[in-house]
Amino acid sequence: MEKLTKDGLEKLRQQHAAADKNYIKVGFSSCGIAAGAQEVYDVLCEEVRKHNADVEIKKCGCVGMCSAEPLVEVRVKNMPRVFYGKVDKETAIKIVEKHVGAKMLLNDRIYDMKVS
Amino acid sequence: MGKTVFIKDTTIGGKDRTRDVYGILLGVLRERGLENNVQLVRVVDIGVYGQGVVVRVLPENFLYTHVEDADIVGIVEQSLIGGKPFAAKLVAEGARQLRIVLRNCGVIDPESIEEYIAKDGYQALAKVLSDTPEKTLQEMKTSGLRGRGGAGFPTGMKWEFTRKSPGAQKYIICNGDEGDPGAYMDRSVLEGDPHSVIEGMIIGGYAIGASKGYFYIRAEYPLAIERIEKALHQCREAGLLGKNIFGSSFSFDVEIRLGAGAFVCGEETALIASIEGKRGYPSPRPPFPSVKGLWGKPTCINNVETLANIPVILLKGGAWFAGIGTASSKGTKVFAVTGKVKNSGLVEVPMGTAIEDIVYGIGGGALAGKSVKAIQTGGPSGGVIPKEHFSTKVDYESLQQMGSIMGSGGMIVMDEDDCMPDIAKFYLGFCVDESCGKCAPCRIGGTQMLRLLTKVTEGEGTPKDLEQLEQISHAMQKASLCGLGQTAPNPVLSTLHYYRAEYDAHVKNKKCPACKCAKLVRFLIMSEKCVKCGMCFKACPVNAISGNRESGYLIDQTKCIRCGQCFEACKPRAISRS
Repeated sequence: MEKLTKDGLEKLRQQHAAADKNYIKVGFSSCGIAAGAQEVYDVLCEEVRKHNADVEIKKCGCVGMCSAEPLVEVRVKNMPRVFYGKVDKETAIKIVEKHVGAKMLLNDRIYDMKVS
Repeated sequence: MGKTVFIKDTTIGGKDRTRDVYGILLGVLRERGLENNVQLVRVVDIGVYGQGVVVRVLPENFLYTHVEDADIVGIVEQSLIGGKPFAAKLVAEGARQLRIVLRNCGVIDPESIEEYIAKDGYQALAKVLSDTPEKTLQEMKTSGLRGRGGAGFPTGMKWEFTRKSPGAQKYIICNGDEGDPGAYMDRSVLEGDPHSVIEGMIIGGYAIGASKGYFYIRAEYPLAIERIEKALHQCREAGLLGKNIFGSSFSFDVEIRLGAGAFVCGEETALIASIEGKRGYPSPRPPFPSVKGLWGKPTCINNVETLANIPVILLKGGAWFAGIGTASSKGTKVFAVTGKVKNSGLVEVPMGTAIEDIVYGIGGGALAGKSVKAIQTGGPSGGVIPKEHFSTKVDYESLQQMGSIMGSGGMIVMDEDDCMPDIAKFYLGFCVDESCGKCAPCRIGGTQMLRLLTKVTEGEGTPKDLEQLEQISHAMQKASLCGLGQTAPNPVLSTLHYYRAEYDAHVKNKKCPACKCAKLVRFLIMSEKCVKCGMCFKACPVNAISGNRESGYLIDQTKCIRCGQCFEACKPRAISRS
């Protein structure tokens, strides 16, 4: 990476500014990892590859609701952005098949984050 | 976007009607041929607790509570078809969080500097470097930000003192030696948004005139250390650390030092000694570190959360920050809400939010079937706040008036099963373990208090012991060398103040009202209620329960260790605890 100048910083900012893309984020702080985030992440990657789904899988830090880890945030265009809590392998598979694929939210898995 | 409806029955206790309401709503939608246009979703958590059946309609975000079956047609016709609120059950959104420190936690990839930059990262640094350090100090003073490590000293003033201290070499240290039981805000920030802390530190370095910074992070946080290391490496590559940052004349670099697990090293003078490679002993102040700190040079020590606030303040302006919070405490505070609460985790709220909004509104209240008794804030330096005082607004002063402190942000929720003398004993035991032993009041006073509390919780206490506890507490507060000893008696004093009756019950009646103290509690099987299921027999870890499914069961009191597992396991509540 080149040494940043002020212009360079601004350019980089615009370049990486959030594009309107579908994403799945998995919480990868101590709390998430301890609850099994790695397995969930692996399953999600595998499923997305299998279905060739139009979604990017990312890692992120702890969003705050540690009791519901592993937490997975899903944002698909024209659907509400939601958090799935206590995600296991089966739920991860369903997230890709139903939420991302069939555009259907999953029952009995969504948590509210209470962030304004 | 099509309509989405979230449904959750938030009634505490009783049958969960979420599925019933889901069925009725689906029926109503089918009658109108709308079942394919609206998504019905049963959710686990809807952000409201104990308000009957709750329905949330998206994307408008209409929130309805205490929804009865008869309301459903109205909600469908008004909100789902008409797109308008169904006024009869509409409620305003309750307590929400405001995220300044945690703005990027869970949003960006902590290992990517690009994602941080995309979220306006390092913009504040660029802005600050094009102006004088005095301007930054002024902005910090306007913001009214106070240290988030616990004591609440105004950050702007601390920076100014360090800047004005004579000396060519100055240091800035980030205190990441978070050690309060149940508190982990700093870890989460270091793991989730390391660049914000680094940016805050570089800005601090510029403002006070330091060329070198240190991260002091406890070794028990390996992931935080790894991410900070990675972030520092990225900063050096991008020229955000090193010589002539952004082409200015300012040069700055950062090193990491690991804490070896001593709680007292969170105290600033002990922390400095630890970085210097000496034993982590505190030393008397003055001289304050801002005059004579690391290697005898003026040093500024800021907490992780304090530093994470700084980039936002300088980007949006001190006046913006000063507009959030109360008259004396500005901005937000992150709390680690843990213990016997439904949603344990991190909560960031503006200063001045009522405790009840945090515990019930965001935390969701106690675990199923129990009720909240009190909270404990400030870790081993803080005190308890009983539920009768939950309308208290959290800021530095009001918590102090309640006999507790803000501390670093641990908030431990306790329910009816928690015994106050036992809680006091736990915190005091922690401080006795962590006391460095340098000064006598802390070393001897703590040990003696622990001895007295142990007597009380074992039913051997006398009223005189309680008097003595108070006396030693006051002596420790006055005479101890550092904050650890001065504040160690706080949990004892505050529980004595609010829960004197519980101490008296232990001392006079030899009873533990919360049935927690092992020596004072007895478990008995009430044969008239017992259904002879044998669950207690299976649950007992020491085989103190004998019997069989024909003749019933009996607890051998000489073998019983009073762990309470049989009590929890007994479905018909046939085991008495007294």
